[in-house]
Amino acid sequence: MPDDRSFVAETTHLVRAVGRAMGVTFRNLLRRPVTVRYPTVKRVYPDRFRGILALTYDGETGEENCIGCRLCEYICPPQVIKVEMLKAEKRNFAKTFTLELYACEFCELCVQVCPTDAIIMMKSFDLATGDRRELLLDKDRLHALGLAFDPSWATGNRLRDAQAPPKPAKAEAKTAAPPRTDATEPAG
Amino acid sequence: MPQTDTRQVVELGYGGSERLVMNMGPQHPSAHGVFRAILTLEGETVVAVDAVIGYLHRCHEKLAETLTYVQYPSIASKTDYVAAMTAELAYVAAVERVGKIDVPTRAQYLRVLMAELQRIASHCLWLGTWCMDMGGALGGGATIFLYAIRERESVLDLFEALTGARLLYGFHQIGGTRYDLPAGWTAACRETIGRIEQRIGEYEAMLEDNAFFLVRTQGVGVISQELALDVGVSGPLLRGSGVAYDLRRVAPYSSYEDFGVRVPVETAGDCHARYRVRMAEFRESIRLVRLVLDGLPAGPISSRPGVKSVGQVRVPKGEGYAAVEGARGEIGCYVIADGGPKPYRLKWRGASFSNLSVLPHILPGHKVADVVAIMGSVDPVFGEVDR
Amino acid sequence: MPALAWDAVVGFIVLNAVIGMVTYVTLLERKFAARMQSRIGPYYVGPRGLLQPIADALKLMLKEDIVPTRADRWVYNLAPLAFLLPCILIFATIPFAPGLGVADLNIGVLFFLAVSALEVVGLFMGGWGSNNKYALLSSMRAVNQIISYDLPFIFTALVPVVLAGSLQMSAIVDAQAGVFGWFVFYPVIGQLAFVAFLVATLAAENRVPFDILEAESELVAGFRVEYSGMKFALIQLGEYAHMIGTSFLGALLFLGGWLGPGSDLPFVGALWFLVKAMAIFLVVTWVRWSFVRIRVDQILAISWKLLLPASIVLLMATALVVALGGGGA
Repeated sequence: MPDDRSFVAETTHLVRAVGRAMGVTFRNLLRRPVTVRYPTVKRVYPDRFRGILALTYDGETGEENCIGCRLCEYICPPQVIKVEMLKAEKRNFAKTFTLELYACEFCELCVQVCPTDAIIMMKSFDLATGDRRELLLDKDRLHALGLAFDPSWATGNRLRDAQAPPKPAKAEAKTAAPPRTDATEPAG
Repeated sequence: MPQTDTRQVVELGYGGSERLVMNMGPQHPSAHGVFRAILTLEGETVVAVDAVIGYLHRCHEKLAETLTYVQYPSIASKTDYVAAMTAELAYVAAVERVGKIDVPTRAQYLRVLMAELQRIASHCLWLGTWCMDMGGALGGGATIFLYAIRERESVLDLFEALTGARLLYGFHQIGGTRYDLPAGWTAACRETIGRIEQRIGEYEAMLEDNAFFLVRTQGVGVISQELALDVGVSGPLLRGSGVAYDLRRVAPYSSYEDFGVRVPVETAGDCHARYRVRMAEFRESIRLVRLVLDGLPAGPISSRPGVKSVGQVRVPKGEGYAAVEGARGEIGCYVIADGGPKPYRLKWRGASFSNLSVLPHILPGHKVADVVAIMGSVDPVFGEVDR
Repeated sequence: MPALAWDAVVGFIVLNAVIGMVTYVTLLERKFAARMQSRIGPYYVGPRGLLQPIADALKLMLKEDIVPTRADRWVYNLAPLAFLLPCILIFATIPFAPGLGVADLNIGVLFFLAVSALEVVGLFMGGWGSNNKYALLSSMRAVNQIISYDLPFIFTALVPVVLAGSLQMSAIVDAQAGVFGWFVFYPVIGQLAFVAFLVATLAAENRVPFDILEAESELVAGFRVEYSGMKFALIQLGEYAHMIGTSFLGALLFLGGWLGPGSDLPFVGALWFLVKAMAIFLVVTWVRWSFVRIRVDQILAISWKLLLPASIVLLMATALVVALGGGGA
């Protein structure tokens, strides 16, 4: 302890510092706690929350949105998505679609690349389980998750449009570079 | 480096005349991550330190060679996972420098905004964990820890509203940023900043004149100016030892030159000086956030927007280095590109790696209790150290 | 009923009451600390968390009893008992109300102070018997600290004894009768002695800011690090029992014990006593959760250079005042 002050001055200094610290603690005693009593009470998730992944159906026709283009498979950094395409007359589908959620990074790149807004993220992360095999999501499970939770705001087109320059240039970009439906030149 | 004979001595033993070899192992409540320090003690005084790192090595640099420039930014956040925005910024800045890719002004300002908010959040974590190390998980330290984490959580709420993630954002992309500010974010940001400014005042009141805190931090862990420059530390360690070096001022990037960053410098070089530097950085970051919010221009947020953001980036042959002023010091990224979509070689300069190497010079002579105080004031993050 | 059997029954009741109180005091501390930290404490087990201590006790009873391979078995196994016994024994001399106590010895305060200092033996046994460098380091620090702080603790506790003129606890309380008769209101000497007593209590109890003994962030639970299950529970019990015991002593010596409005009615006096002891305990807890700890050499410096001389001077001043005719109430 510094000796350059008199004993009385130092003691009063110490007492004042102690009082100030204890005052801060006491003031917090009277504030409301910030705890959210999960799982009874859930906090409000923001619109763009990056939660579990899911596949979607088209709002009007009820068809699956996924066209099996495999762009998400190529862009995924830890390579957790595996897709097989199924060719049909008017449009393609995905024959199988597996996503290994236990290895997923939740980086949202697959959502950003999807041309048809098929794969999105939900506003929930509540998938804890004791068996890791339950986190190997197949196509049916992904579609079921898409119906079970609230979807996040972020879909492929919304994310890309939010970055794109204002209207006239956006129309140009749409005609100049249409979304690819057959992955002839992979993106990743 | 002081010569230690710890390698010859089995750890569970006494290494000759009254010396005790104690292992502050990778699993330790105050190791700030996975860090092993083999301390040689004489009574309570540390005589030698043998620092062992590498427990968190995840092959970032090799991984970068297998991932494209579009895929890597979200991985880059995992090097300095506590301050992810600045880590990603180092990577994208390096690639943009090598590839001569422009970044629009709004994107640059957004990057500055996020970097400063991230600095505030990272310093909140530093303050909390440092006080917890000094005060015990069941004591006064835990109180300040919870207060600081409460403030950090409000900043993370802002980041969550912006990107959707709380810790590892993937906010930067080559050419700009990936997300733009949602409606109502600016008002929430101003409110959060105002509240943090007031609360920082409270925590300073709890600590500043506190005799217990002062005796724990003044005169402890002194890094002289020569030692700091010799070893190559950066960030608050360097500025706490009297060297006025801040990359935001010396080599401005991402339009930092528009803001006139004021660099706090202290000359004492002890833990208390580094504490003062970081507290001043809190206030400086708050001021910068307000400046950016006031002057944010309209415009595109990326020079590779929309579909181009997920397309390939072919960077022509070349190499370059970009460094940013992270919360812990200079985070740098050296990229060698060969014309393809993936880098040929990537090298990370982790701030904490160089900062940690000062430990064997300053720890001997201090008591065991000072070891945790000094480690806390060095504030390492082992994602940067081990990569 | 023969007197000895009656004493045994009373002793048994007090023992159980003390243990019950100690377990629930842990819950009180956790909730109080949580509120100071902007969170809620245990709330899940039982209404508002009231069954949490029971759950903790059950959990500790069901845990595996581990003895490290090269530990000194006898020393290791006996250490929790050697630690717990003095901490519980101090309650034997505290009268909770006039006539309501196990043994109101006429050397009550002396017995209390002497026995409470014996816990150091159990502490050191625990650290030594664990065959663990962290435990050894911590127990050596503990012996240092507790011995250094027992002296000012004793001297400040003697100030009310000198003022009251007796070592018997009930006599000390009776000497504080009357409005503002509590020794803490005694001009200058009372307040200084009370503050010094609180500081010495903090240090003798290994409470932050003097808790380098446990120092979770450096020594990971100190001398308790190798204990688990019921032995750990006994050590925890002993620690908190000692804490409560010194709170009761402080309430008795300085805050007038069971005196208060309506204290002649049955059990109201005991209730006042409990309230005052809990008030001291809460102040100690409040201090605990507000400060960082200081280093061991600084702790010893405070004791030998500041607190001990101050308490000796205080005691001599009290003796002088009493000799000149003051004292009593």
